[in-house]
Amino acid sequence: MNANVYTKSAPLITAEHVGLQYGEKTILRDINFCVHDIHRPDMQQGQVVSLIGRSGIGKTQLFRILSGLMKPTAGVVKIDMDQHPVKAGEVGIVPQNYILFNHRTIYQNLKIGLDNAAVKLTESEKKAVIEDYAGTFQLTEHLKKYPAQISGGQRQRVSIIQQVLTGNKFILLDEPFSGLDILMIDKVIQLLLKVSTLHETNTLIIVSHDIENATAISDTIWLLAPEEGKEGATIVQEYDLCKMGLAWQPNIREESSFQQLITEIKNKL
Amino acid sequence: MLTLIIIEVVIAVAAWQLSGGGLIPTPSKVLQALAKIVQDPGFIDNFFSSVVLTIKGMFASIVIALIISYLSIVPFFNPIARFVVKCRYLTLTGLTFLFTLWTKDGHDLKISLLIFGIVPFFVTSLLSVIDSINKQEFDLCTTLRMNSWKTLWEVVIIGRLDQVFEVMRQNFAIAWMMITFVEGLSMSEGGLGVMLIKANKYVQLDIVFGTLVIIFLLGIFFDYILGKFREWLFPYTKLQTRS
Repeated sequence: MNANVYTKSAPLITAEHVGLQYGEKTILRDINFCVHDIHRPDMQQGQVVSLIGRSGIGKTQLFRILSGLMKPTAGVVKIDMDQHPVKAGEVGIVPQNYILFNHRTIYQNLKIGLDNAAVKLTESEKKAVIEDYAGTFQLTEHLKKYPAQISGGQRQRVSIIQQVLTGNKFILLDEPFSGLDILMIDKVIQLLLKVSTLHETNTLIIVSHDIENATAISDTIWLLAPEEGKEGATIVQEYDLCKMGLAWQPNIREESSFQQLITEIKNKL
Repeated sequence: MLTLIIIEVVIAVAAWQLSGGGLIPTPSKVLQALAKIVQDPGFIDNFFSSVVLTIKGMFASIVIALIISYLSIVPFFNPIARFVVKCRYLTLTGLTFLFTLWTKDGHDLKISLLIFGIVPFFVTSLLSVIDSINKQEFDLCTTLRMNSWKTLWEVVIIGRLDQVFEVMRQNFAIAWMMITFVEGLSMSEGGLGVMLIKANKYVQLDIVFGTLVIIFLLGIFFDYILGKFREWLFPYTKLQTRS
């Protein structure tokens, strides 16, 4: 598959002049970015974008604003082909601590996603869909277990699939690589790539401080940092990794240009 | 751990036996009194009277407390729930006369006082369960497109049922402690509390201690049963979260 052949079309998520202020304190200032629908020949290519910033800069607040769970004090976030203002429930979230319903088994947790999906299925159809996803994402043997009985990585997988089953095309992930060992990080990357290619408009937005892993998986990177002499974090740099020839390459970490980019990002944060 | 408990109990009982003989009856005398109490023809009636009254009072209290606690999520009802919590500091003795006028017989009086005494403690514990819910659970429900009722059901009601059971188990001790007090207000139905009052009146300290041992052991037994019941009904509560 040639990674250089792609086109970008309609905007799917747009942040326009988004700002957040608590009293006199500015947390986020004039944030602007746009995620476009990427097309690649002969495949369903979703979007994986990352917002990278240092800890405590306001990433979690931006996460909540993008998901519609929090209203910005300025600006607007628009989603989907018709670019309507985002409402809570239209964007799925996978929090850092992978919140699940602890009183329900993994099967029931996944079924909740389908119960509330726009497409209504019969119980047997739901069972078939859950078993299919569980098989694809290696969760079949855990379906009867409770969340407390599975590992952090497995909980993260359940959390992501739960959102996919709800029918959310846009999924926000808060620090998806945090607290995972190197093998688990590889698995998570594979999972996210798989989810992103399930549907053409599937869009994953990763909010993270893990520069290397976020860059390795993304097609676009935005750096969130404060500008000198100004209060509040904003987007200080955009990297279009498709244009730079650094997107969708499994062995990207071995490329010297990738390592140079990581160094450049580190210096800018 | 069990060995340590047994050793400490043996030491405590031995010390009690050796230091006894004065005002407080020795363990051997308490044991003899215990045998006498159990063989008394009225004991079973008294025993069941107390247990049934406690269960009735507990059941009614938990229903009322749950309604108040769940309603506290609605801003209008929150101050009411917070007031009920403060009612822990009201003394029942001062309200007994009022309750006597309001209720039609001794049984109703005992149940009403029991409920009035337990509900504030239940509400206190239940509100702390609700307050400790991680806000991200509500966010999750929103992203899963659940409406407010479904969210309330999933997170607050079903999701915290195991903790409600735990609250019930912990507060059973309060109900059990109060039973002896309310039984003294209307002695016609008997009960363990009545047995205690009568024994106290005639300074039968061995019977008093024997009855206290029965009340103590029953309390521990109910605590254990409710704990086992919780594990059986909500198996996930026993699980340790893996990292």
